[in-house]
Amino acid sequence: MPNIIEVQNLTKQYGSFTAVDDISFTVYEGETFGILGPNGAGKTTTLEMLEGLKPITSGQAILAGLDVSEETRMVKSLIGVQLQASSFFDGLNLKELVETFASLYGRNVNAMSLLDKVQLTDKAKSRVKELSGGQKQRLSIAVALVNDPKVIFLDEPTTGLDPQARRNLWELITEIKTSGKTVVITTHYMDEAQVLCDRIAIMDNAKISALDTTINLIKQSGVSSSIEFKSSRDIEPWQLEKLPAVDRAVAEHGRYQIISSDPQTTLPVLFKAAHDNNLKLTDLQLRQPTLEDVFLKFTGHELRE
Amino acid sequence: MNTTLTLTSSAIKMFVRNRQALFFSLFTPLIIMTIFGLIGFDRVAKIDIGIVSSSPNVPTKTFVDNLKNISAFNIHTDSSDDAQKALMDGNRSIVLIVPNDLIPENPSAGIQPKTIVAVSNASQQQQAQTAITIVNQVLDKTSIALSKAPVLFSVENREINVRNLKYIDFLLPGIVALAVMQMAVFSVAFVFADYKEKGVLKRLLATPVKPSQFVTANVITRLIVALVQAAILIAAGVLLFKAHVIGSYALIFLITLLGGIMFLGLGFTISGIASTVESVPALANLIVFPMLFLGGTFFPINTMPDWLQKVAKVLPLTYFSTALRDVMTKDAHLSDIKSSLIFMMVWAIIFIVTANYTFGFEEKRL
Repeated sequence: MPNIIEVQNLTKQYGSFTAVDDISFTVYEGETFGILGPNGAGKTTTLEMLEGLKPITSGQAILAGLDVSEETRMVKSLIGVQLQASSFFDGLNLKELVETFASLYGRNVNAMSLLDKVQLTDKAKSRVKELSGGQKQRLSIAVALVNDPKVIFLDEPTTGLDPQARRNLWELITEIKTSGKTVVITTHYMDEAQVLCDRIAIMDNAKISALDTTINLIKQSGVSSSIEFKSSRDIEPWQLEKLPAVDRAVAEHGRYQIISSDPQTTLPVLFKAAHDNNLKLTDLQLRQPTLEDVFLKFTGHELRE
Repeated sequence: MNTTLTLTSSAIKMFVRNRQALFFSLFTPLIIMTIFGLIGFDRVAKIDIGIVSSSPNVPTKTFVDNLKNISAFNIHTDSSDDAQKALMDGNRSIVLIVPNDLIPENPSAGIQPKTIVAVSNASQQQQAQTAITIVNQVLDKTSIALSKAPVLFSVENREINVRNLKYIDFLLPGIVALAVMQMAVFSVAFVFADYKEKGVLKRLLATPVKPSQFVTANVITRLIVALVQAAILIAAGVLLFKAHVIGSYALIFLITLLGGIMFLGLGFTISGIASTVESVPALANLIVFPMLFLGGTFFPINTMPDWLQKVAKVLPLTYFSTALRDVMTKDAHLSDIKSSLIFMMVWAIIFIVTANYTFGFEEKRL
């Protein structure tokens, strides 16, 4: 996959405070790239430098072959942006708003079909202040799409939304991704990154502490999975430890826990052994490590503290 | 260019839908014009006269009634005590104590000279003197009539309307200038401070639009509004208050545009300085409020004390209203209002420079 964004030694300094400290990464065309980190990690500043909204202190950002600091207007015409706290003109209805924004790119756009895409057709004649939080974010995404951008930047799109509105927005973002656009998204939600992103950069304290595909990050973290179940008859833990890829096994009040580095290898052998010995396994649970564990591993602290 | 055009049409929609903006740009000036138009400063106030005369004979009563018909007088027939009290309270300029037999019922039976005692309010000497003069005239006429002497002299008053400048004619150009100033300063300062605070400007900055395009669209919108304001206010002044506009409408158009540009510059400057929307009214009023009274809107600046005139003569509104007034009431030509226009241009340039300095799409503090 060709690179659509190349970031090299990007740094943002406010006086003596370093908001973004010498970070480098590449975003491939068509992928959904996540920047995961707590508040104040420098995610938004990074995004705003890529969007041409904030001057870059040092380092370089190339988007679609264009240097962001030099060809800022060209870059702006190629990207779609959803700001963390953007608001729109109160005096226009949604349809007029979408059309006005299209004109900023010198384009004519079918506002209704764009509103349809974000399920706001019935709100076409409403004003922004009449929208719910989730609807506002969907409008914000519709506006970010008016110029048919190559890359769309979403800055914490689901912060402050209720669970249903979040799911709804995830679906929308997945659709955008399926249509072939590159999506760069910041979030401080693990589940969101896990559901949406192909690759994730973990950002903490102005630096990127890890960057890989979601699966690899979990693997790299070295955190094991745990398989838990109840059995119809007693089993000795040492027997379980003989199973492949098992680090250790514990028995506690008739409940068994196996720590496995690779449940895909462990589980079939466990099931076969159970079947052969006429054991009934109930209440079976597989707990795989999450990005939460990964984050803890890479940064040494919890994501939200 | 297409972008600026679309932005302008959006900005017009937004302006028209903003009830508050409409209220302040049209309704308020109309109300002010109505109130001041109705007060009518050109009508002379009547003189309040108390007449004490308990039971006058018939000719004396006729004399008092004649006084009541004099349009400059507001005659109150009082009892002696009431008259004194009203005089003390300042509700009468003068009290006349008229003897019951001031004018004899039977003149042929010989005439005794009688005296009207006038008690005047020292703080309303001018009105009291006027009243005494007029009453004396009436008494003279009565004396002549009683002595049956022929009337030898009289004055015939013929009224000719010589560019009869009424107060409304003075007021109308002032109101137009005032309305344009209020609209330009407040609509820009509020709206742009709000855009900045809510992040609308930042969102625009994330698109390829140039800030100058967006500002241009908003300036064009408000200049159109300024011309509409001038048209509506002048029409209302002429149709409802019988104001006279004798000058060139092209010049009125030009002055209004220049005034609009000048105060839009001030509006952008204020929105740049204001850190929040809440600080806009304080800041804007600080600058605009003194001009309301010193800018030659309601009364001519040459009625002010000298030092105040010096202040008034540097205010941008003064030149705006003066230029409009010269054209509307005196049919001034371009060359006559040159100095006003130059002053306005200087102010426009100053405000545009300060706006450039303070106003930006990003946070920009002085």
